Amino acid sequence: MTGLLDVKGVSRCFGGLKAVNDVSFRVEKGEIFGLIGPNGAGKTTLFNLISGLTPVSGGILSYDGVPLNSLPPHKVARLGIGRTFQNIRLFKGLSALENVKIARHSRTRAGLWGSVFGFPASHREEQEVKQRAGEILALVGLDNRADELASSFSYGDQRRLEIARALALEPRLLLLDEPAAGMNSAEKHGLTQFIREIRDRFNLTILLIEHHVPLVMGLCDRIAVLNFGELIALGPPAEVQKDPSVIEAYLGGD
Amino acid sequence: MAEFLNNYGFLIVTVVQQALLGMSLYYPLSAGQLSLASPGFYALGGYIAAIIGTAELFAPWRDLLGKAVFPLEWIIAGVASALLSLVIGLPALRLRGIYLALATIAFVQIVRVISLNLSITGGAIGIFGIPQLFESRWGYIWIFGPLLAATLLFTWRLEQGRIGRAFRAIREDELAAEAMGINPTRYKVQAFIIGGTLAGVVGAMSAPFLNTWNARQGTFDASIAYLAYVLIGGTRSLWGALLGAALLATLPEILRPLNDSRLIINGMVLVIVSIYLPQGIVGALARLRGAGKKKGVPAGGKT
Repeated sequence: MTGLLDVKGVSRCFGGLKAVNDVSFRVEKGEIFGLIGPNGAGKTTLFNLISGLTPVSGGILSYDGVPLNSLPPHKVARLGIGRTFQNIRLFKGLSALENVKIARHSRTRAGLWGSVFGFPASHREEQEVKQRAGEILALVGLDNRADELASSFSYGDQRRLEIARALALEPRLLLLDEPAAGMNSAEKHGLTQFIREIRDRFNLTILLIEHHVPLVMGLCDRIAVLNFGELIALGPPAEVQKDPSVIEAYLGGD
Repeated sequence: MAEFLNNYGFLIVTVVQQALLGMSLYYPLSAGQLSLASPGFYALGGYIAAIIGTAELFAPWRDLLGKAVFPLEWIIAGVASALLSLVIGLPALRLRGIYLALATIAFVQIVRVISLNLSITGGAIGIFGIPQLFESRWGYIWIFGPLLAATLLFTWRLEQGRIGRAFRAIREDELAAEAMGINPTRYKVQAFIIGGTLAGVVGAMSAPFLNTWNARQGTFDASIAYLAYVLIGGTRSLWGALLGAALLATLPEILRPLNDSRLIINGMVLVIVSIYLPQGIVGALARLRGAGKKKGVPAGGKT
């Protein structure tokens, strides 16, 4: 295995608060890598640093050898890093199909005039976008509701739609921010299966934040634990689970 | 028929012309940007046409080209407006919401003040006696009409494709759009340029239509009027600007018998529509159609 995402001494300060403090780890190709930690540990901030939404204060982030530090989010996405959001950021006023189609943006090329005049290349591309978006919706089981507004979906379905949208980007690295939040236990079990399935099917590397411990333990190849912005443990689930500093962070010492 | 056109020809052409100006504001709005810059580009386009049409300097062009000088005016106005849109849009579109609106109003004011003070634009008097393209006012429908049809077709095609989707994504959630690989600045500027270019071309067509051109053509009032067309008609549909302009431009004429109180009624219609039809006329029509459809579905048909 070779490294896909390299996080080297990365920090991010908000005023005096070190939200992420000198964190280093490497995500290997094909791995499902979990990021856990108590609330406010800096997990989502780290996601925002990787996807370019928040600039890094220090350290180096690189993806497949390309430095990410100064790239705007749309260029990071183009490199093949897709993500979902903790608080679900679908295009709520648009249909499920449109949500997925939009993510094909960086994989298509039609310009203004191509679209307007329907040049053969643009026309073909548009058919392809439609077909591809339909396939991805079918994969998450929402193809029969393609024309419904994203806002009319249940919480769990919105999470699935958000994953579908991220997949339409054709990412090689997929960042999932609490994908199981708001799901019942049957849905959570289904999600575990689903994440493995898409990893295998699309040759993905997955980095995920999750609070639900059984899900993380059962799914992830390796886990990194953050607490107050610092990396306190890193390793396979069984090892991390026994780590005294992890137990202390979660349950409180003394 | 001749009498009808005599009475209402000017009004009909005005509705089409105003609808086009509403459309120019619709593009940035469809990418989530509240820009009120259209009257600035409209004024610019009009001055370009008025100056080419009247200035001594351009007499050889007019002699050489005859009526073909008019299309040339439109093209020059379009290109100049597109370039100016790019120059203004790049810095201005870093601003959001109300700040962008204020910056674009400032642009409209700058254009107005400059045109009031330059001698080439005729100062406060403006430019009058602009040569006509058609013999009657109604004739101008043959340029505004096709332009509106072309604009609607352009917009319809645009919205079905990749660029239109990028606009909508930015309107819905700029941050999520960016995380999906869309460069927001690029598409916001593109939407702004399309709107600015259209306003410039409409200005160039309007200068002969209105016969005179002065600093009153591009004002803050006009910004608000164009915005009202789109808001009343519906911001989510390409037909919104046309419906809004049709209602708002004809209303004062319909209410003319009421003399002074017509402005009060005009204002009340605006208030009522914005309170009861938040999605505009198009939104209300869509809802009516949706309600009609739902009645057709048997109860419990959907699980």
